[in-house]
This record gives sequence, C-alpha cells and structure tokens, in this order.
Amino acid sequence: MTNAADIKPAVEMRGINKAFGAIQALRDVNLRLMPGEILGLVGDNSAGKSTLMKILSGAYQRDSGQILIDGEEVHYKSPHESRDRGIEMIYQDFALCGNLDVAANMFLGRWPRKGLFIDRRRMEEDAESVLGKLKVNVNSVRQRVESLSGGRQQSVAIARAISFDPKVIILDEPTANLSVMATQQLLHTMAELKSHGVAQVIISHRLQDIFEVGDRVMVLKRGTGVGERLVKDSSEDEVLRIIVQGDGPDEALSA
Amino acid sequence: MAEAGVTQLPGADGGRVGAVAGFVRTWEFGLLVFMALMYLAGVWINPKFFGDSSALFSILRDASRFGVIAVGMTFVIVNKDLDLSVGSTMGLSAAMFALAFDRGFYDFDAWQAVLVAIVFGTGIGLINGLLVTILRVPAFIATLTMLFIGRGLILGLTQGRNVAFDADKVNGGLFFAMGQTNALGFNNQILILAFVATLGGVILARTRWGYETYATGGNLQAARYAGINTHVVRIRAFLFSSWAATLAGLMLAAQDTGATSQAGVGAELIVIASVIVGGASILGGRGRVIGSVLGAILLVLIDRVLREGFPITRLVKIGEREIEILSMARLPPGAVPAFLGIILVAAVLIEPWILRRKLIHRLIARFRGRPMPLVEVDSVAIEAMQTTGTALSATEFHARGIKKLFTYRESAAVAFVIVLWLIGFFLRPDFWGNLDNSFNLLLAFTEIGIMAVGMAFVIGNGDIDLSVGAVLALAGSTAAFLMKKADMAPLLAALLAFSVGTMAGVVNGFLSTKAKLPAFVATLGMFYMARGFGAWFSGGRQLSQFPPQFNLIGRKFYEVLDYWGVPPAPDTVFYAVSRAVSTQTLILLVLAVIAGIVLAKTAAGYMVMATGGNRRAAEYAGINTDRVRFLSLVFVAMCASLAGLINIAWFRSFGPQAGQFRELDVIASVIIGGGSIFGGFGSVLGALAGAAVITLLRALLSLQVITKTGSFVMPQHWVNVAIGLVLIIAVLTDIWFRQERIHKRLSFRGRAALTASGGAS
Repeated sequence: MTNAADIKPAVEMRGINKAFGAIQALRDVNLRLMPGEILGLVGDNSAGKSTLMKILSGAYQRDSGQILIDGEEVHYKSPHESRDRGIEMIYQDFALCGNLDVAANMFLGRWPRKGLFIDRRRMEEDAESVLGKLKVNVNSVRQRVESLSGGRQQSVAIARAISFDPKVIILDEPTANLSVMATQQLLHTMAELKSHGVAQVIISHRLQDIFEVGDRVMVLKRGTGVGERLVKDSSEDEVLRIIVQGDGPDEALSA
Repeated sequence: MAEAGVTQLPGADGGRVGAVAGFVRTWEFGLLVFMALMYLAGVWINPKFFGDSSALFSILRDASRFGVIAVGMTFVIVNKDLDLSVGSTMGLSAAMFALAFDRGFYDFDAWQAVLVAIVFGTGIGLINGLLVTILRVPAFIATLTMLFIGRGLILGLTQGRNVAFDADKVNGGLFFAMGQTNALGFNNQILILAFVATLGGVILARTRWGYETYATGGNLQAARYAGINTHVVRIRAFLFSSWAATLAGLMLAAQDTGATSQAGVGAELIVIASVIVGGASILGGRGRVIGSVLGAILLVLIDRVLREGFPITRLVKIGEREIEILSMARLPPGAVPAFLGIILVAAVLIEPWILRRKLIHRLIARFRGRPMPLVEVDSVAIEAMQTTGTALSATEFHARGIKKLFTYRESAAVAFVIVLWLIGFFLRPDFWGNLDNSFNLLLAFTEIGIMAVGMAFVIGNGDIDLSVGAVLALAGSTAAFLMKKADMAPLLAALLAFSVGTMAGVVNGFLSTKAKLPAFVATLGMFYMARGFGAWFSGGRQLSQFPPQFNLIGRKFYEVLDYWGVPPAPDTVFYAVSRAVSTQTLILLVLAVIAGIVLAKTAAGYMVMATGGNRRAAEYAGINTDRVRFLSLVFVAMCASLAGLINIAWFRSFGPQAGQFRELDVIASVIIGGGSIFGGFGSVLGALAGAAVITLLRALLSLQVITKTGSFVMPQHWVNVAIGLVLIIAVLTDIWFRQERIHKRLSFRGRAALTASGGAS
C-alpha cells in the first residue's frame, strides 16, 4: 500500500539536517508517511529518532530541508502550530497535568466556554464521547489524572490527541512506561486509529511492538537513514542487523 | 585562562573546564579590584572614617563573622539548597550563650555556655537538614520558617532584654579573647575567619566531602545513582552552615561581652549575597570558599559605606545670611536592606545572564575583531531548578482511601475554624462570643484574607511570593509619606501607593519569568527591597494623622456613607448592617467573590492550575505560562498594596512593623486551605478558610486565659513561633499525603516505570 503512487503522502520530510553545536544530529534524512500507515522509527540511542520527530512536531527547528504536509511545504515554530496542521505528538511522559481531572486535561488550554465561564458540561460530554470512541474506560472524566494508572494516563493523552482530529500521531516510546496488558491495549488502540485513516509514527526500542502493528520500519543510525523495510517482508533479526551494522549494499528502499 | 577569541566547541569538555576555572580566577581577582575601588571611594567620600587604618581592621573584624557563616553557606548553596535561618541561628547562639553565661540567669562557665549554644546550633542544622531531605520540604520554606521560629525563640527566651556580662566574669577569659584585639593590632576574629575559611576551603576543594557536594549540587539524581548518599551530603551542609552561624554568634557575644535580642537580624541577606557575589551559582554545583569570603568582605564594606553615609554641605538661610552646614547624608534605619536586596538580585542574575552567555568574552572578542565564542543556548538549568519542587506533583500519585478526604481539602480548614472557635469559646465564654471580639477577629482576618486571595493564585502556579508583608509595608509607607510629607490628596496618594506596590509585583513577575529566576529568589530580594524602601520613605518612624477621608477605608461602612452624604435611615436593616460592617470587610468580600469565580470557573483559573500542575504540558497546550505567572505575581502584589492601604487607615498610622511576619501567615493560610507548596492546587475559599484558621490561632494564642491562680497571656514572640510551627506542619501534611501516594505507587509494579520518568522527586 505504500507504493501506491496516486495517493499523496500525509507527511514528507526531505533532506532534513539538524546540528546541535558541533554535533550533527541529523544528516540529510528523508521520511515519507502515507495516510493510515504505521511507521516504526528505530535506531540506537542518539540515532536521531526523537530529534527527527521533534522537528516534525515543531519542538525543534530544522537547519535545512523541507517538510511537506499533504504536499504543501510548512514552517512552524512551536508545537501548537504543527497541531493546526493536524500533527499530534504524544510524549513519553504524556505531558498531562496530574492535578487536573481527565476532562480538563483533554481540553488543556482550549477549554470550551460559555460566556466568561468554563462550560464544564460540554467539556465532560465531549471528553466522554472521545474516550468512548477510543474504547477507553476511565471511571469518570472528573477523576484526577494523577489517580489513574500509567496505561490509563496514556489513553487520556491519546484521547486528547485524537480530539484534535489529527492526520498524524507521533508516539514517542509509547510502551516504555507500560505494563504488558497496557501495551496490548495500546497496540489495539493504534490499530483502531489506523482503521480511521490516521497515520502514525512510533518511536520504540521494542521491535516486537512495531512488528505487531507496524506497516513499515525505518532505521536511523548516527543521524542518517540507513534502511527501510516493509514489515511483512522483513524480520526482527534483519532490522536488528541494520540497526547494528547499517544496511550494507542494498539500500534500495531508502529513497 | 583560555584565549577569549578562540572558538570553543560546546561539547569539548577539556576546553570548557579550563575556561571556567580560568574565569573563576579572574572573578575573584575582579572582586579584589572592586573592593579596593569601593574602599577608595569610601576614603574619598568620608576621609575621616575610612582614611583611618583602623577602619580597615574594623571592617575586616565585622566581616569575619559574616565570612565565617558564608563559608558554611557555600556548602549549602553549592548543594543547590538555601539556608535562610543563619541570621536567627547566629542571634540564638549569642542569646543562648548569654543566658547560660550571665550571672543573672544560669551563671555557667564559658565552656559550658558554649556547649549550650552548640547544642542549639546543631539542633537547628539537623532540623533544617531533615526537613529538606527526608521530609522533602523545599529548602527556602523550611529555613524561612526556621528563621521566624528562631527570632521568636530569641525574643521569647530573652524577653527582649539585652544582656551584658559582669566585667569581672569576663576578664581574662579565654573565650572573650576571641573578640579582642591581639598584640599584632588586629582583632582575633580575623584569625578565626582565616582558620575557618582555610578549613572550609580545603574540605570543599580537596576532600571527598567537597566532591560529593559539587556532585549533589550539579545533578542530584546522577549523584544518587553514583551511590552518593545525597541526604547525608545535604544534611551535612546544613549542619556546617548552622555551626558556622553558631560560631559567628559566639564571636559576637565575645566581642560585645553580652548579647542583644537583635543580634544577627538580616545576616542571612548579607551572607547569601556574599556567597552569590563570590561566584557561587544559586543553581548549585558552583562556588568556592575563597570567593564567598571575599564576597562577605565586599558586602560588609558596602553595608558600612551605606550606613556611615557621606558628608554633604547644605546651604541654610538664616535671616539674610546663607550658611554652609556640613552634615551627613544618611540612610534612615531599616533602609540599608533595600540596597543589599538589589545587590542580591543583581548577583543572582550575573550567572545566567552574563557568565553563561559569555558576555565579557564576547565583548572582548568583538573588541579585538575575533570570532565570537559560542554561547550555550538558554539556560535550561534555571528552569529545572524551579521544577525540582514541582517534579513531586508532576509524578503521578495513587491514593484511594485518603483521597476521598482530601478531595475537599477546604473542608479540613473549615473544620479547623469551627474547632478553634469552640476552643476559644470554651476558654473565655465571657469574652469570646461577644460581638466586639467577633468583629475584631473579622478585621484581623481581613488583612490576611486579602493577601491570601492573591497568594492562592501564585501558589496555584507553583510559585511563591515571600514579599507580601514587605509590599504591604511599602504601599503603606508610600501612602503615609505622600499624605504627611507631600500633602497629597488622599485619593491620589492612595492610587500612587497602590501603583508603587503593584510595581513591586511587576518586578517580581519580570524577574521570575523574563529573567527566569526562581520565584522564591526574586521575591526574597523584593522582601528586603520593599521593606527597605518602605523604611526609607517613612524615615524609619511612625507616621500618623492622615486626612479623615483616607481613614474611611478602615472604618465602618456607615461612616463612608455618611461622608458621601447618603447615610441610611435609622431603624432599617441596612442601617444596622452598615453600622456593624467595616469597609475593609466589604472590600475583601468583593475581591474574594470575583477572584474565587475567576480561579474556579474561568479559563484563567484553569490556566493557573495547569501551569502549576505541569508547566511543560501547559506550554505544549499553547498556554502562555509566563504571562499567567507574571499576572499572578502582579495580582498578589496588588492585594498586598490594598492590604497596606487598609492597614494604615485602620490603625490611623503607619508603623515600620506593619506587615511583619505576614508572609508566613499568608503562605500558611493558602497551604492550610488546601494549596500545595508545589503548585497545582488551592482555591480562594480554601485560602480564606486558612486565613480564618490563622486569625483564630493568633487570637487564641494571645488570649488571656483565666485560671484559678490568676491569668496568663502568651507573649507575642511565642505566637510567632507557634505560627511558624503551624506552617511547617501544614506543608508537611501536604507533602506527606503525597508521599503516601508515592508509596502506593511504588508498590504497584506495573507503574514502576513512571518513577523513572519523574524520578527527580
């Protein structure tokens, strides 16, 4: 499905470069993400995975290169500008306010209002409907986020992202903080999102997760893209070899 | 020192360490040069005093006490902590020694009395250390409370009296030689400083303990992972600073052969400023003993120049003749801290804004036409510092049983109010229940309540304002000054005073957001500045007899209506109410209703709580957290200014003591009312309930209790001690409930990873 030439990619990053002082974090990296596709972004520590995604989400600025969303070049300076273009990032620590309840977190910074006041009823109803769509069960949207389990907190973060109706969701190490059961729940949720046509990028060290839900794997090594595989044509061992050794002679797929 | 023009790679460690070490060397050299210039300026301004060589020794003698404390404080600040209690520890040490030694009290030998002082000093150091490490109270709040408690103890124990030892008991004592001039012509205290500084310098720079200190201050978590017991390291530093303060107190007692209850007042300001001026970073991990000692000498020099004043000639007309009169332009008592506060804030700003940005290197490079050295991008560390406290609330907690109770934390405060009132009624049924007492309580409540309303916003943000009491005094003295000395119309004077107080909030807000100082440092500076300027305006004296229109805001509402010519008709309900209710109570009511609705029901209030709950998350969500924090700090200053105007109208006079200890009352009110010192919680209703608790406590503690044998009243100093204890207990209760949750969370293995993401707590 990635080869279908007539579908425009949801996101295309071309020749991205980024340096921190003397350290070249990213060198000429290309990335393409089709609608409804789940791309696994893997690589060693400091390979540049998070940097690449932070550039996509607007937390970092690129030094050079292009980012095209739906074929249109974009420049943004902060995370909430990328949100307007339909890109959502779910951070490793979820970026939630533990002291606020679930509903207030889902509408953080854009609480619905009625006149001067917060419209709590609408907020709670909307929150419940989004959570329901995601098939996430929190006892009450009035519950404080800090009283939820890690998996539930992540569900709130994902529900928050979905409530913006995004085209692309970036998940930074989503399974790092989760129990086995919560991980299964998350993978289920990702498949659900995929069926709604949401493209997803998942940064992870756990290859088995990527192989369970992913369509394609992209490997970064020392700031360069060194290989790309379709999940159905590859194996964990092969990807692991690319992570460690690079892709050797046949770099055909990495455009 | 590395060549200024050579471009250094930010990651190249060798080059950077060399440059930093080199810069520290020039830093201390610069201090010396600056000091010499200051001294020359002193000589030029006031040759009579500074021209004398004994002046140099006298400055060194006084500086040696502050220098000794600065040595101990260096350990604390390098650890990324702060010890605000050293001034009162110093005073307590002198007072304890005096009480134990003096014939009129216990008449111990000198060494026994020294032991008593050391026991007290050790106790304070241990309590500070335990509160900050194991009990996780933020250092500034724990040691600030300790400062107030220590001050109260001194006054309570000495009953405000000065102690002077009998000459024959002093004579020939080895202890008192400590404070005397030796055969070489200088005071022995200078020798003590040299010894303590050498000892401290060697420990910090050359021993394992010192390396542990730098590691703990540089990165607490990394140090802990490396197997350093950071609790021990930090407790040790608090002990060092307490012991140093104890020694300084003993030196003072030896020099003065006695003690006053005012010993060491404000010493913490000079000491902290000394350490920071000496090149240490308020962000921890940087600082050297020698720099701190030089800083102390410089600060004492500045202090002396400010206090001595400078000679001026004035032209005075007497009849037809103009006569030149030589006089000294002097700051009024209490005004000096204003300048020391400015120095403190300026020194704290040097590190992030000049050193980290290599402003001097860049200037030299530009001058020589060489390439600019690379600059580290925005100092992330300074932000991180502020979140060390917040990290606790950012990590997620688990509680089900207790959570229910604490869902309505305001209700706990309300319960306290009822219980305290009933206790009062039980103790003095004849007096407590009557209308007079109730309205007096209400008036005392107003002052705390108005400021607590503003503080609820600031603490909700995860910030703190330590300057509210001082801003109250600043606004009060400004209004008093303008009406008394400038004959300004009451309304204009009130407006101007209100603006001046608000400006203090603007400065606080600017320093905390734009300059990225932790709010407690910025407002600590303002604490001294505002009180100092307040004392300056009022000349350190009581000002009274304001125009009657002004005093109306402190009177019954009926008098206001009467003044405007619309008195309500007698025998109506409205008449009775306006006779009973004060204007200030109405002001509080209106303020509280509006602020309460804003905080609980509007987007602005949600923004405050989101900022306090998780600032980064709030920023990702597009909330301008800097603006939220700035406005909150301005708002609390407005509340404090309002309280200042009401205060002087109510008392019909401004006294230099106005608003003292109020920061303690107000912070305690908000915490008791359900706020969290780490931010993200709190409500106006809760803050008001907390203010009521504090008001009732104060009233109860100063209640005249009639017993069978007579009656008993607790002196005011003990009341302050008690309020300090209440604040600590409130903060501890808040944190302990959180820790309770942490334990539950840790016991749940599936969430263990969460600890890693928020492990800094």
